Amino acid sequence: MLKVLLRRLVMAVFTLVFVAIVVFGVTEALPGDACTAYLGKLAQGERLSRCQSGLGLDKSSAERFFDWSGRALQGDFGDSLKRKRPISDIIAPRFRNTVILGTSAALIGIPLAIILGVIAGVYRERFSDHVVSGIALLAMTIPEFVIATVLIFLFAISLKWFPAVTILPTEASVAEILPNIILPMITLAFVMTAHILRITRASVIDTMSSEFVKMATLKGVPFRRILFRHMLPSALLPTINIVALTMAWLLSGVVVIEKVFNYPGLGTLIIQSIFDRDLPLVQAIALMFAVMYIAVNLIADFLVILLNPRLRTRVSAEGG
Amino acid sequence: MPSRSVKTAGLPYFRPIRLILAITLLLSLPVSVTHAGLLRLAYDAGFGGAESLDPYSPTRFYFTTLTLFDRLVQQNHEGGIDPGLATSWEVSDDARTWTFNLRPGVRFHSGKPLVAADVVYSIHHALDPERGSPVASTLAVIDRAEALDDLTVRFHLKSAHADLPLLLIDPRCGIIAENSAATIERTGDGTGPYKLLRNDPEGITLLIANPEYWQGPPRVERIEVVAIPDQVAQIQAMLSGQIDYLPSINRRQLKLFENNPDFIVQTIRTGHWPGMVMRTDQPPFDDVRVRKAMRLVIDRPNMIRLALGDGGGEPACDTPVWPGDPYYADMGCHRDIPAARALLEEAGYNDGIDVDLYTSSVEKLFISMAEVYQSQAAEAGIRVHIHQVPADGYWTDTWMQESFVSTRWNQRPADQILNEAFRSGASWNETYWSNPDFDHSLDMARKETDPVKRRSMYAKTQQILFDEGGAIIPFYLNINRVFSARISSLPSEKELFIEWRRVATQ
Repeated sequence: MLKVLLRRLVMAVFTLVFVAIVVFGVTEALPGDACTAYLGKLAQGERLSRCQSGLGLDKSSAERFFDWSGRALQGDFGDSLKRKRPISDIIAPRFRNTVILGTSAALIGIPLAIILGVIAGVYRERFSDHVVSGIALLAMTIPEFVIATVLIFLFAISLKWFPAVTILPTEASVAEILPNIILPMITLAFVMTAHILRITRASVIDTMSSEFVKMATLKGVPFRRILFRHMLPSALLPTINIVALTMAWLLSGVVVIEKVFNYPGLGTLIIQSIFDRDLPLVQAIALMFAVMYIAVNLIADFLVILLNPRLRTRVSAEGG
Repeated sequence: MPSRSVKTAGLPYFRPIRLILAITLLLSLPVSVTHAGLLRLAYDAGFGGAESLDPYSPTRFYFTTLTLFDRLVQQNHEGGIDPGLATSWEVSDDARTWTFNLRPGVRFHSGKPLVAADVVYSIHHALDPERGSPVASTLAVIDRAEALDDLTVRFHLKSAHADLPLLLIDPRCGIIAENSAATIERTGDGTGPYKLLRNDPEGITLLIANPEYWQGPPRVERIEVVAIPDQVAQIQAMLSGQIDYLPSINRRQLKLFENNPDFIVQTIRTGHWPGMVMRTDQPPFDDVRVRKAMRLVIDRPNMIRLALGDGGGEPACDTPVWPGDPYYADMGCHRDIPAARALLEEAGYNDGIDVDLYTSSVEKLFISMAEVYQSQAAEAGIRVHIHQVPADGYWTDTWMQESFVSTRWNQRPADQILNEAFRSGASWNETYWSNPDFDHSLDMARKETDPVKRRSMYAKTQQILFDEGGAIIPFYLNINRVFSARISSLPSEKELFIEWRRVATQ
């Protein structure tokens, strides 16, 4: 089993290196360089050469890649062109905010999705299933920015229950943030719930028609006991992967949501840095998103292997 | 009995209940509480947290520095100049020495009295090349400043300039305290109507009224400057009542606020202009007849209607000086297709002419303006080929490189824009125009101390530009701004930079 875990880990590291090369290569392939992109109308004379020597643009691409990735490993991404501050200092609070939004949405969304998914699965083709599945389908097909806009129109502009956009001091505590992010939380939870719900429902239906559930039913085991002792543990296992995927989507795909709600997270930061043509900052955030995505998936893989007795034994039979 | 209460408090499930209660309470608080005496202004956090409270910094937090600092002189709504921290001023006959008398009894927010040494320090701070201040080029004519006594400052100029106060009304020329360069970017210690309570450029910056302000205390007690980078998010914040003012909205967004009793919309005229510029050093535009023909073909009101929509701008006659400027020359220009054809034939283009216009979506307006121009010019046999290049690198690889390109400038005083963009050899001379007559009359205008003569000289420079220059400036842009109806005394429509101390809320 250890061998498989290790293999997954090595794969993750390779993916990360590959992503780093792509992120670096794409910015290299752009016309001009980071300095001409950033300075725009002002890119001439001394200002340009000062910027270029500051970034070490006189060195070769390969040299700069190793330099950049080496320092990135130590958490040093250099300074932002626009903000004139260390990139790690800029990213840290934004990262925290994105995690707060993502986690709070996940805490609402995942349990809700699983409960609704189980209900829909157990009462398959009945009224409650139709309602739940119908809403899930809607949530999956309507883009999140439309949902966000509709929610803002209803609850912020018409009813004035919640703030439309996030307006917060930079050093706001979690308690200060939460009441201000109700709408983005609901939007994220809504979209996220749909995916997990559908997988859970399918998985529950699968399990319900399996031999061991039939057996238990025939033996006269009470339904409640079948559901909680026999069905759910095996039905919920496949949802771990989809939960992980959704979490990863949450952390990286919140870009749109953050932008719509003016939320000071990594998503709005990457959009701003692209507008500013602040390439060092763009590279750093892109890499951060990749790390988050890979990490969450890695954790999910580990969880599945550890929790699934069949996989566990098969793995140990295979690899010792 | 005491033991029982202890036991209850210690019950494990009690804490979550209290937490839930607390959260419910927080959530049920109405969000858009409207406080009288509070003004909430959104700005775009354009420097992403690198905003500095030093009014001379290249990354100045302009929204805030405008209320924290005062200038020596201020602009009135008629385009003239009113006293500010200086009560009066005199100029020497050769226009090379200016003396300003300062207002007695003014104090900085820190309590320090304002003296001449502070003004001297501020000017030298602005001119310090190490600071890289964007006003340095505006003030470059100043050689040095000198304190004659506590309340008298003298400016020695490098060359004659009869309009020094016009340079000093630049909103960036705030007066800072002597030796405050190291701390000013965080303290914002000025003499202005508002004092800094908390500086948070990426969140909420708090300003509080200065009760001892020399022009009387402001009418609103607190200002919150709120960072909202996204324009759509700004609109939503405005619609839901989270902020009280939006400095600029486009025509489509205007419909959301017009005829809505919660909002007041103002349309203000500005001197911001987009344009298309020809390189006068390259064929075919090195021929003044071609340049003139290129400008004669434009139907300016029609271009405004098609490219901006009605009321989106005011027609311009290829002068960068706008009608709100005291030196604006009203020249009048009409479309004349036969005259344009005749000029082209005279220049040897009997079958019309092909020109390449390079433009980009770097500004939304560029493309539509180019397309309207293309169709208008076609009537005179000018075949405009539009080349749309990527927004990336437009300002480096295309602008000031190709011979016919789109451009845009923000409103600037006459002397500044004429010198920075049209004088021979100026670094932003995008038409590569070099005309000794023009340069000479600019110099003469600067020297002339008689205001009437000076005005006619600036008019002459604009006339030369209109007759021979390479810039097509079809219109000046109007700006639509929105106030919440809570604001009871609105600023004048002539104020591009609003004096917030005069504004009151309900």
